[in-house]
Amino acid sequence: MSAAAPETAEAPRSGRSRARRVAGWREHHGWSAAASLRRLAGRPVGTFLTVAVMGLALALPLAFYLLLANVQSLGDGLGRNAAVSVFLKPDQAGPQAELLAKTLRERADVAAVAVKTPQQGMDELATMQGFSGALHALDEHNPLPYVLEVTPRADLDAAAFERLSADLRGERAVDLVQDSGQWRQRLDALLALGRRIVEALALLLAVAALLVVGNTVRVDIASRSEEIGVLTLMGASHAFVRRPYLYAGIWYGLFAGVLAVLLALAVEWALAGPVAQLGQVYGGRLRLGGLPPWLLLATPLASALLGWLGARLVSAWQLRKAA
Amino acid sequence: MIRFDQVSKRYEGGHEALSQLSFEVADGEMAFVTGHSGAGKSTLLKLIALIERPSHGQIVLDGQSLSKVRRGGIPRLRRGIGMVFQDHRLLMDRTVFANVELPLVIGAVAPAERARRVRAALEKVGLLDYERQLPASLSAGEQQRVGIARAIVARPKLLIADEPTGNLDPQLAVEIMGLFAEFQQLGTTVLVASHDLPLIKRMKKRVVVLDHGRLVADVAASEVQ
Ligand SMILES: Nc1ncnc2c1ncn2[C@@H]1O[C@H](COP(=O)(O)OP(=O)(O)O)[C@@H](O)[C@H]1O
Ligand SMILES: [Mg+2]
Repeated sequence: MSAAAPETAEAPRSGRSRARRVAGWREHHGWSAAASLRRLAGRPVGTFLTVAVMGLALALPLAFYLLLANVQSLGDGLGRNAAVSVFLKPDQAGPQAELLAKTLRERADVAAVAVKTPQQGMDELATMQGFSGALHALDEHNPLPYVLEVTPRADLDAAAFERLSADLRGERAVDLVQDSGQWRQRLDALLALGRRIVEALALLLAVAALLVVGNTVRVDIASRSEEIGVLTLMGASHAFVRRPYLYAGIWYGLFAGVLAVLLALAVEWALAGPVAQLGQVYGGRLRLGGLPPWLLLATPLASALLGWLGARLVSAWQLRKAA
Repeated sequence: MIRFDQVSKRYEGGHEALSQLSFEVADGEMAFVTGHSGAGKSTLLKLIALIERPSHGQIVLDGQSLSKVRRGGIPRLRRGIGMVFQDHRLLMDRTVFANVELPLVIGAVAPAERARRVRAALEKVGLLDYERQLPASLSAGEQQRVGIARAIVARPKLLIADEPTGNLDPQLAVEIMGLFAEFQQLGTTVLVASHDLPLIKRMKKRVVVLDHGRLVADVAASEVQ
């Protein structure tokens, strides 16, 4: 009965009325999004606190993720790509050692093979502190075998590395293979545990973020009961009254997600120096595993979704109570 | 425009606020509802806007039976009614412009058209220069005029007002009532609840008198002295 265009009119389904409904819908959403943003800007301290708490809660799992990724790359750098020492049986002499080295060099998963003679081994030992006396006692008899230092290809995964290691062990001339396999396994198990902990933590902190937004929106709605009453009297639908709060949740979430990413990048930046140093010590095999781009993008989006969800749950309950 | 047919309203745990009330208000008519405090004036207006539902009887508004309007249909019904309250109910944290704009936002009117209509409404109540002010910086009479601008900005066919001059001194009260009469001139149906009999008599409009929820007199405009 009003001359004004009614909200979501149940008009006949002609193309024009459909176009008008879409325009009206856009109008409503644009207004709600802008109005809620203005409200957040209107009380900057409260908004900052909510965003900060939520952002910190989300930054924490990101930082742990970063830490894990680096421990993993540390493990990769130290363990998987390290040379494997292959000790030949004592009866294997120089020609056999060179022959085995030659066949190993032809393997696709081997990058390099160096042959270390018993004499070279002895010389190495001699340079180590405390060993020279013991070596004298050996009295010219060198008990060391030939050793092949096999460097696997850098990009081998754990399974391929395991295969290579097994093949080496299977060689007739080989007495002992010393690789980092067991050490790797332990690290992998620890990393798997770490990942699980990060996942659980991320879940808990996401719930915390949800509660933070929910509570903020709850207080907001409670403090605006008068406005809600006026809007309702003027013919605002439930959806219209609720929409600014949903947008507020989205804004909180989005800003908190961006803050979390910035914090995580700060941690990454702070780690870069020490990791580079560590990398130098280990001959440049170590690089900082940064946050992947998809995660930098997904975090604010997921956070916005969380904010919306928190606002939605609370507003449904709070507005029903007010009605 | 409005038809009450044997309408009774009993609040939960209370006695009857309205008893078997029957009357009609024609399209474009202006009428006052008066009576002592507690006579049922506010209740009558609340039934029209579906803030309350009658216990018995029928109310028909612009050809539509209100008993058939479900919960989900109430917003649409209310968008067709302009409401003015004794305490104006402006949102104090927004400018005059933003307050008057609200019904148009709810009605999803485009921004340019909104601005045009808000200014037209503010001009009608003589507050065009106040659009950027906050309501708190306005006098009581000006605040009530903003409330009226908000009520008419979406061009409702029906304007209802509950004690719109209750907080104003007599001079301002006359001005406000004059505004309502102007909107009637423009074709709006106007229903005003007020207990200010001297003022009502000056207006020379129809008067419906309630007493303990019963209609005890219905004086036509021409008979008001
Ligand atoms: N929400 C309510 N619950 C119970 N009783 C009410 C309620 N609102 C009004 N009443 C009662 O209904 C009667 C009419 O009230 P009201 O319509 O406000 O009268 P008026 O506006 O003429 O002063 C009064 O006796 C009042 O106490
Ligand atoms: Mg009253």
